[in-house]
Amino acid sequence: MSSSVDIATGREPSTPDPSAQPTLRRIRLALMRNALPVGFVGLIVVFVALGAPNFFTLGNFSQMLRLSAPVMVVAIPMAFLLIMGYVDLSVGSIVALTAVVLGLLISELGIPAPIAVLAALAVGAIVGLINGLLVVRVGLAPVIVTLGSLAAVRGLAMWLAPTPVFGFGDDFSAIGYTGFFGIPWLVIAAAAVVVIGGYVLAYSPIGRHVLAIGVNAEATFLSGVNVPLTILGGYAFTGLAAGLAGIMWAMLLNSAPSGTLGAAFELEVLTAVMLGGVAFNGGRGTIRGVVLGVIFLAVLQNGLTLLNVQAAVAAFIKGIALIAAATLDRATLKAMFAVKGR
Amino acid sequence: MLPLEVVGLAKSFGTKRVLEGVDLAVANGEIHALLGPNGSGKSTLIGCLSGALVPDAGSIRIGDLEKPSFTPQSAIAAGCAVIYQNFSLVTNLSVADNIFLGDELFRGGRIDHAAQRAATAELLATFGRPISPDQPVGTLGVGDRQLVEIAKALHRHPRVLILDEPTAALGEQEASALGQHLRHLRDEGLAILYVTHILPEVFAIGDRVTVLRDGRVVLAAPVKELDPPRVIEAISPATASRSGSRAARQVGEADVMLGVADLKVDEVGPIDLEARRGEVLAIFGLLGSGRTEIVEGIYGARPIDAGTLSIRGQAYIPRSPADALRHGIALVAGDRRRQSIFDKLAALDNILLPHFTRLSQGLRRRRTDEQRAFADVAEQINLSPREPRALGWTFSGGNQQKLAVGRWLAAAARVDVLLLDEPTQGIDVGARGDLYALLRRLAKDDGKAIVFTSSDPAETMTIADRIIVLRRGRIVASLDGDACDERQLLTIAHGAENLEGGPPMGVLAAT
Repeated sequence: MSSSVDIATGREPSTPDPSAQPTLRRIRLALMRNALPVGFVGLIVVFVALGAPNFFTLGNFSQMLRLSAPVMVVAIPMAFLLIMGYVDLSVGSIVALTAVVLGLLISELGIPAPIAVLAALAVGAIVGLINGLLVVRVGLAPVIVTLGSLAAVRGLAMWLAPTPVFGFGDDFSAIGYTGFFGIPWLVIAAAAVVVIGGYVLAYSPIGRHVLAIGVNAEATFLSGVNVPLTILGGYAFTGLAAGLAGIMWAMLLNSAPSGTLGAAFELEVLTAVMLGGVAFNGGRGTIRGVVLGVIFLAVLQNGLTLLNVQAAVAAFIKGIALIAAATLDRATLKAMFAVKGR
Repeated sequence: MLPLEVVGLAKSFGTKRVLEGVDLAVANGEIHALLGPNGSGKSTLIGCLSGALVPDAGSIRIGDLEKPSFTPQSAIAAGCAVIYQNFSLVTNLSVADNIFLGDELFRGGRIDHAAQRAATAELLATFGRPISPDQPVGTLGVGDRQLVEIAKALHRHPRVLILDEPTAALGEQEASALGQHLRHLRDEGLAILYVTHILPEVFAIGDRVTVLRDGRVVLAAPVKELDPPRVIEAISPATASRSGSRAARQVGEADVMLGVADLKVDEVGPIDLEARRGEVLAIFGLLGSGRTEIVEGIYGARPIDAGTLSIRGQAYIPRSPADALRHGIALVAGDRRRQSIFDKLAALDNILLPHFTRLSQGLRRRRTDEQRAFADVAEQINLSPREPRALGWTFSGGNQQKLAVGRWLAAAARVDVLLLDEPTQGIDVGARGDLYALLRRLAKDDGKAIVFTSSDPAETMTIADRIIVLRRGRIVASLDGDACDERQLLTIAHGAENLEGGPPMGVLAAT
């Protein structure tokens, strides 16, 4: 049959024997399933053709990857949540809160950077845990809980820092712009999250449990898996990752503006994850897809910025991208199962 | 002209040929039974008739219209009404709203609720059930929802009514009531196509029979000319007959694996029972008698209100399925689709999900160990196809149930007490035989304690060593498998043994 499970694949191939289908259909199917890499090439060609200045330079690509690192680290645990059928809309606010806390600890309380970083991460994890407990213990709908957190946490951040926080120290912010043999530290950190996330999803029992919860939560419960704990873990890690993203942003901006930092961040993360093939209802998804989704969005944003496209237009285009992702996902699914009316 | 006629129908999914040269005809005033093992193409055939699927070849005539394929709208318009196993009712809406969904009665630009209610009441009156037109469908039990589904189909005055295993979720009483309603409708001239697994039904109400096997028609004849053995042979040639051999029973004082005393779950109880090593215990009862509550309570899937349980002599408090499993108790749940099967995951995942942690080394799964465990279980359950990567939804109902049972047979499972809730519901004769043989083997050869619930007296008599009869949440009899027969079981379950509910005559009395 098909090749062995490739890295970070969450599921096995499912088409009825493809060699029996007409060639045109196979081509169409292959195109759909590889839409993202194909889309990349398309995007790059478009931007080069439109003459975006400095698009095709190492410096530009480097900066692009750096800026996408926060989205990448949050997209991974968010993918886990979505696969299970849950969501966290408050990640943007957590980013702001943790950056603010980090900044205040360093500049106001003089706490050494490494300890402040740990504290900021802890804050993120705690917020995530609270989200999770409200969903799992109290039984509230994820959208409602995390919309509430979105507002509450943002408010907390703004209360703690009515004006942008500065004073992170030169050493600290330098990390954002230096690297290891040319590879930015932020990218290395994001890559580590990707590799760990990919491994867990594809090769560990937890990864199977996550997928199973997405496909049939009750059957998973009856199989003896601790479903509430798994979901709680998903929320805690998402919060933690949002904390890490907040720290990364602080490094990139060398400041923490409590009102604007992380605004629409959740939109970016969700768009990237869904572009990557994770269904909103759960039960499907691969880390490879998520990575492609994040990078695709990063390339899109980068090109638009270089072309001096207005922020409003860029936002519009990104919104369209989300809808296109959902449509493509549905069409691919139908083509794969090839049964009318299913 | 026949209201339903199918000629030369063929349908494939990819390379899989599901229907081939199928001819079928149903006349007015006829109940036509359609039988066949799981995977024989019955559901596909119904799908083509209802317009959900497009056949590759052949023609379908519904009423006056003959076409190579239909759409759901055109099929309904032509007069074809289908009642599925999985109902299409909206639980939030009332009975009347559901019946008139998509077909509302308007008067002066607004929905005429009063007229709808009246029409609904009239339709429901023929069923003789206490169902109010204003009741939300969600508050109705399965049997009553079935009737609403039928009423919904009937109110459009169809030319042909197709029922897909309508009694699967019904108890004896409801099933025989349904049979009566269908006979009544037939006598009034309706053409009825009745898909079923249950032979007694075929002989009770059927006029003609068609048997499908592997996508082809292997038998088509009037019921009068047939007898049960001949039909069984057509469905499943040369497999173990439905009434499996009852080997020597060892009903004795074997070790008690699971002890239950004064169990109360929801409205059910108090229940006392003992599951012994190497013994098959049946909990026999009709729909709504409390069977599911009991096994789910023991397994920790449902909170219990009271009760003292013990496993292997030690006190056991059911907290959760994970906890039950640690004590060696496993449950194969009653609703396969909703509670057991992962349709989008592979067969390997379906069988090994509870065991991945144990089969792994820390965070790393061991593929070879998993493959071996799968192969071992697939052998035990006789899974078909024996492909670990095949997704759950590609398996027939019978094989899906095997997956669900197989989940607890992996060596890593260490299960001593296996609970099964209506394990053969909606499963063909061949797979049933496999399942019975498997359960007997697990008890007699492997020494497990098997507890299964059933509403089928024949099945209960086939494999049970001891039988507990449940009625309205209480145990009314405790019987030895050799010392009773099907009629007695049914009689007791119905409470018809005497009027006041006292101990039945000539049978061991219950606690």
